[in-house]
Amino acid sequence: MSKLIATRAIRGAHKLVARAEKALTEALEKKGPDARVEFPNTGYYLPISHGILGLNIETVGGLRDLLLEAQRLLPPIPVEKLWVPYLGHTLDAGMATLFADEIIEAIKYTEDPLPYFPQPNPENGKLWLGAANDIIMRERGIEFVDGTAPGFAAIVGNCPTNEIAVQIARELQEKNLYVFMSASTDGFSMAEQLQEEGVQLGWDTRLVPFGDDVAATVHALGFATRAALSFGGAKPGDYQRVLQYNKSRIFAFVLAFGPVDDEKHAQAAGAINFGFPTIADTDIGQILPSGICTYEHVVSPVEHDKIVSKAIEVRGLKIAISKVPIPVPFGPAFQGERVRKEEMYVELAGTSNPGFEFTTSRELHEVEDGKITVVGPDIDDVQEGASIPLAFWVEVAGRKMQRDFEPILERQIHDFMNCAHGIFHMGQRDINWVRISKEAKQAGFKFSHFGSVIHAKYHSEYGTIFDKVQVTIITDREEVLKRIEGVREVYRERDERMAGLTDESVETYYSCLLCQSFAPNHVCIITPERSGLCGAYNWLDGKAAHEIKPAGANQPVPKGRLIDTVKGQWVGVNEYVFKNSHKTLEAFNCYSIMDFPMTSCGCFECISCVLPMCNGIMTVYREYLDMTPSGMKFSTLAGTVGGGLQTPGFIGHSKQYVGSRKFVSAEGGIRRLVWMHKSLKEELAEVINARAAEHGIENFVDMIADETVANTEEEVLAYISSVNHPVLSMPALF
Amino acid sequence: MSTTIAISGKGGVGKSTIAALIIRWLNDRGHRSVLAVDADANVNLNELLGVNAGQAIGNIREEMKEKVGDIPHGMTKQQFLQYKIHQGLVETPNFDLVTMGRPEGPGCYCYANNLLRDILKALSDNYEYVVIDNEAGMEHLSRRTAQHIDYLLIISDPTVRGVQTAGKISRLLQELDTRVGQKRLIVNQANGELKPSVDAQITKEGLQLLTALEEDEEVRSNDADGNPTYHIPATSALYKSIDVMMTKLFANLVGA
Repeated sequence: MSKLIATRAIRGAHKLVARAEKALTEALEKKGPDARVEFPNTGYYLPISHGILGLNIETVGGLRDLLLEAQRLLPPIPVEKLWVPYLGHTLDAGMATLFADEIIEAIKYTEDPLPYFPQPNPENGKLWLGAANDIIMRERGIEFVDGTAPGFAAIVGNCPTNEIAVQIARELQEKNLYVFMSASTDGFSMAEQLQEEGVQLGWDTRLVPFGDDVAATVHALGFATRAALSFGGAKPGDYQRVLQYNKSRIFAFVLAFGPVDDEKHAQAAGAINFGFPTIADTDIGQILPSGICTYEHVVSPVEHDKIVSKAIEVRGLKIAISKVPIPVPFGPAFQGERVRKEEMYVELAGTSNPGFEFTTSRELHEVEDGKITVVGPDIDDVQEGASIPLAFWVEVAGRKMQRDFEPILERQIHDFMNCAHGIFHMGQRDINWVRISKEAKQAGFKFSHFGSVIHAKYHSEYGTIFDKVQVTIITDREEVLKRIEGVREVYRERDERMAGLTDESVETYYSCLLCQSFAPNHVCIITPERSGLCGAYNWLDGKAAHEIKPAGANQPVPKGRLIDTVKGQWVGVNEYVFKNSHKTLEAFNCYSIMDFPMTSCGCFECISCVLPMCNGIMTVYREYLDMTPSGMKFSTLAGTVGGGLQTPGFIGHSKQYVGSRKFVSAEGGIRRLVWMHKSLKEELAEVINARAAEHGIENFVDMIADETVANTEEEVLAYISSVNHPVLSMPALF
Repeated sequence: MSTTIAISGKGGVGKSTIAALIIRWLNDRGHRSVLAVDADANVNLNELLGVNAGQAIGNIREEMKEKVGDIPHGMTKQQFLQYKIHQGLVETPNFDLVTMGRPEGPGCYCYANNLLRDILKALSDNYEYVVIDNEAGMEHLSRRTAQHIDYLLIISDPTVRGVQTAGKISRLLQELDTRVGQKRLIVNQANGELKPSVDAQITKEGLQLLTALEEDEEVRSNDADGNPTYHIPATSALYKSIDVMMTKLFANLVGA
């Protein structure tokens, strides 16, 4: 299929270059080589030739250089039997097309009368605006930079009906996208369709009619080029930077409506150079593999009601929803609000009715973004004071979505719901509990607005990890009960998966460099069995944080070749730590306290240190302020272990790490634990006993000394001797 | 921001009776956004208010300490505790009641209390009035589960020793971080004029007397029958005195 597209694009490029040559020859004859050509009021000359080639064309004669470049780039039209095209040739043809377009368009500006109306908005039936001047460029371009406008849709051709044209224009406007229109089909264009329907056109409404000529499509790409030059800091002629900027920053795409002729194929090929894919409503074949564009290059045929969302998906465009569209105020200020029974209109789930919250991932085609369905009675169907079941069934899809993100997204529902004024939300999973106040009901809150909250907040907070979300709100008892068992099964699987996640089962760990602002050489390595020392980040959090903010403080660390299984040392981790500790830490053992232990910033929940006389270690939590058997209080210990220093015999870690099978496992693990203050011991008793039991030791917690029996190292030794602590028969620590 | 009224005093001085009647008084004045906090493990405020007791926070706390594994995965302890507390709340059209329950067993409760403090603070903010019935030692105040008190009412019997105890409670509070707006003494079960020795002791302890309440035979017999104090007739002598007392106390409070 892509051969067909390539062939047609190359053929279209030939036609356009020939047309440009003809127009130029005529202009040279009529106006002479010294006649001025310019897009009025712009400092970027002719933007494509200026940005891509570094040419500063000011005269008709100067256009000859551009024509030469176009002709030089033109690939031969593929012969019938050639089967290995085409992307390289297609791209060249696309670029030649844009050069030719620019020649054709530039020459129009030498004509009298000018075929364009060079104002921001059409007036008195003068529809076509041509190239944007620099005032418009700066005013509008900044919106692309600050994200107010995520990008633009370059539309060529016309829609089957005026209604469809209006509907698509509205849909694009709602997404804050600019709509650049050019090229007609059978002498009729989308801009004219909108005009007939009385739709306001122009830069003010973001519906911009460039020109009815196919060559006028170049104004869209010229606009993109100028954005790269003026906002992206690209130098004229640095085509790589210009194109890269557009691919990564300007979320644009081409929508081709109606039959796509060779010349339009050629425009699409030009757009692909910028990373802008083409989506068509007719069957023109497809170029699916990614490469130049983020995802597919050409997708067709797509139905009109799906074409905008398809284009957004293919371009990898993230739509931010700034305002949550619900009839009650929304904000963190409303968190913690209880809707008292007196104020309550309806109660959902809770103790007297079944319910659950479930977020799951689906294939892209299975999810319709923003679709919200209510199954069962809505708020107006229930009596005041009623109590009914409630389930949130949330389906997300995205190219970067992973199963591991499901529970992370699901857990957010609690925080999001509580931001809505008059909505009280407690619990999660199958212990959810919601109340809606009379006031919220009065304001027009419907059950579907739960879905609006989830849709808007998922997009604004987690838009980088998924593309689409649809929500089903279930208040029908039968339906909730029908689904609840399956959902519980998934909860169980998730728990088992999390519990079963080991350091060996993954290939990549995650770093945390958040604290480098005050401990510049410290690097946290987060593994499934060793959470961040602050206790705030576990491996999944690190992974999710990286997906959400790829350039953030949590980076993937490939383990690389294994150096030492027992101590937990890998080539990849060493390299990462060396580089990111600014060459101060040459090696790092994940599971050892004695040999190249992990460093600490200062945020550790706990500190463990060796008690040499006892051949064991003690652990203290940061809220324990009394003296410890090490002869140091927590604050003094913190000074020893913090600040990114590798101090053998001392580690900072999370509370959770004590319960890990990898807790100082190089030295024998939990069995080394000889002292812990009572409060921490009690909090962790269950897991400590469980870990010790795996070593065949029963009631190990009772063998660990605490401040009630030992406050010096001697006293600890006396105590552990009296209870026959296993550490007594273990190898010497050093 | 809610108005917090804390009532304290040693056992047997009738502080829960007064707490119940203050809640009744607020209700009678049309205030229905009232949170009653039963923070005395020895007396059951719920009975005086004529409602069932919900699950006590003490039990929830113990449960959380014991069954860490039961907290759904990915749910923080904070969220779990909050969920349970909201669920344990007794709701009536006139007031909601939270019961603190039995004091802590041995072991460290810093973590749980730390969470509790934040949750109760957030819960209290939902109400116009919070009325706390404290035990004498003011465990919950000392644990700083209540951080801000607008009115502290210390109840004493009409004896020198009683007033001495009230003085101790007053001083104890000064050592804590709890911010107190107005602190007043109520002498309960007074029959006629206070003895000069008692008056002198009040001055000595530096306490400000709000009122002396007479014993009320009607209330006592109602109590003896096990009927909720909350429902005594508005015509009873004690309730009338409470009305006068609260009107005086709230004299400066706008909107009360």
